[in-house]
Amino acid sequence: MKPFDYTAPASLDEATRAGARPATRFIAGGTTLVDLMKLEVETPEHLIDLNPLGDRDPSLGSVSELPNGGLRIGALARMSDVAWTAPVKERYPVLSQALLAAASGQIRNMASMAGNLLQRTRCPYFRDTATPCNKRDPGSGCSAMQGFNRSHAILGTSELCIATHPSDPAVALVALAANVRVRGPGAQPSAERTMPIASLHLLPGSHPERETVLSPGEVITAIELPPLPFARRSLYLKVRDRSSYAFALASTAVALDIANDTIRDARVAFGGIATKPWRATAAERALIGKRATAAAFRAAADAALRGAVSHRDNAFKVELAKRTLVRALTEVSA
Amino acid sequence: MTTPPEECRVPEIGSEAPDFELAGHPGQRRRLSELRGAPVLLAFHPSHWDPSWAECVRMYNRMLDFPAICLDTGPIARRYGVADGAAVFVIDGAGRVSWRHTVGVAPPSPNEVAEALSACLPTSVGADSGGWSRRHFVATVVAATLAIALTRRVARAEPITRPRAATTVGSGEAVKLRVNGRELSLDLEPRVTLLDALREYAGITGPKKGCDHGQCGACTVHVNGRRILSCLTFAVMQQGKEITTIEGLAASAGASGDALHPMQQAFIDHDGFQCGYCTSGQIMSAAAMVREAWGPADDDVREAMSGNICRCGAYPGIVAAIQTVRKNPATAQRGQR
Repeated sequence: MKPFDYTAPASLDEATRAGARPATRFIAGGTTLVDLMKLEVETPEHLIDLNPLGDRDPSLGSVSELPNGGLRIGALARMSDVAWTAPVKERYPVLSQALLAAASGQIRNMASMAGNLLQRTRCPYFRDTATPCNKRDPGSGCSAMQGFNRSHAILGTSELCIATHPSDPAVALVALAANVRVRGPGAQPSAERTMPIASLHLLPGSHPERETVLSPGEVITAIELPPLPFARRSLYLKVRDRSSYAFALASTAVALDIANDTIRDARVAFGGIATKPWRATAAERALIGKRATAAAFRAAADAALRGAVSHRDNAFKVELAKRTLVRALTEVSA
Repeated sequence: MTTPPEECRVPEIGSEAPDFELAGHPGQRRRLSELRGAPVLLAFHPSHWDPSWAECVRMYNRMLDFPAICLDTGPIARRYGVADGAAVFVIDGAGRVSWRHTVGVAPPSPNEVAEALSACLPTSVGADSGGWSRRHFVATVVAATLAIALTRRVARAEPITRPRAATTVGSGEAVKLRVNGRELSLDLEPRVTLLDALREYAGITGPKKGCDHGQCGACTVHVNGRRILSCLTFAVMQQGKEITTIEGLAASAGASGDALHPMQQAFIDHDGFQCGYCTSGQIMSAAAMVREAWGPADDDVREAMSGNICRCGAYPGIVAAIQTVRKNPATAQRGQR
């Protein structure tokens, strides 16, 4: 691992200022960053530890009620704590389930919510510094295009990158239309902004090395869940090669608002098949106004995967994702 | 009884080593002076900061063909001028101190090591020296090595103070960790993971390095009572936290002496391991998992424990051990401080 200096900032101001320098990374849980630093995929010269800020300001690490009936999740809240929090389990079960489907018990105890959103979009070639990768080394080429691409994305890909966004909770948060509060260097309030989580991540396009819209020094301070009563009827379904502690081959977050046997509103998002947490609005439109039947679910799944682009080893994901969605909708409407 | 002041001084090079009775089996007690004819290596260390040290010296004893004696601080240490620290002495075959090093925060100076080595040159061999020999040479070199090893491990008792302003740590500054109830001060670069700090700097080898990438769980420890992977965090980030390893697990649950933690006993009772490499991580993970909000089924245990991989396939025993602990009201919620 490359040497670096370590800073424990005393305030968010200090953190954002220090974080705006070149070759600087923030660290919270560290579960992805430390791994990538060992591989020398990440080689920061300065590391800013955000955890001490949570000791000073407990709201950075906890879940609280919002005046509008939603929930505010502090950026440093740990995945396991959020998953077990009663209001999350009761009002947003899809998020609790997605969190518990992610990683392992130890990692969920370490990983922060914001860090989970900002973990690198990655594939085995990104982790292997001996192979070309446009994300790690822009312009060097994509090893996955002609390589072993079974785990790779089929939605949101570009000619330069087909790596899958690995997060489970981000998929649930996209379905719930959560907002992220962001704080950058500089004086408040100009340094603060709020954006829909769907706007946080970038498609790889011609710059796969850029994964989010955050500028240097910007940190997420909170994730806000809007009130969504029908999210009590929500589900996260994750399909993987083994039953636990593996990345999704396909996953889906769904919520249905059903009255008089008719779908009044629907939320659908996918993980494991896309280059960013993927809200499937086409599937939602296909469901709204329909009766909750197998035919309607299948039609929604077809609509969701219409634009899929597969490669040699991952064509199976098109049908797998459809079946995953149909099964999730069937379970949540039962 | 008062101790004469001269006994508190470090014995001079060439002076007779203070004699004392060696610990041994009843009926086999011997004195240091009876070991003459071969060099003897004496290592003093305060036992409270590193339980693995005694094992280290036992290993030296198995490898060497001369005695290495490991001593706690106490009356004998005081007679060698070692009040409350670590020190290494080489006693030559004639029972005289031929090399000594009191371990501080710095390793032996090049001069000290050079002196020790020059003492081994043929010109320094006197007819009445008791016989410099290959063994004496090896003893001196090993002693110098021990002194350097001890330096890395020596704990400095400085109070932990929470920084008020931003603190930046470059390379090799003191990192203060509280491990198994003890304060350690280690000279670490920021890039040293908690796992490496425990194993390579503090000599606490219960946490194992399996994959070193967060995939196997062998390095699982508790931080403030929660299970985490020590390979995926930097030691410098864990200052001021309560770190528990398998070595301190039983004590953290209130056990004393050699008593085991209920989860350790359950793993033995249910054959929860074969080769044992993953076991400390499995037990640490399991001991924390029983305090988490999992359901009662075997499948819940399998899901909760999926971050701990066992190559031997001892999973049925592991699940049985954990379920035994969870189903026993006396042990189900056995917590830590």
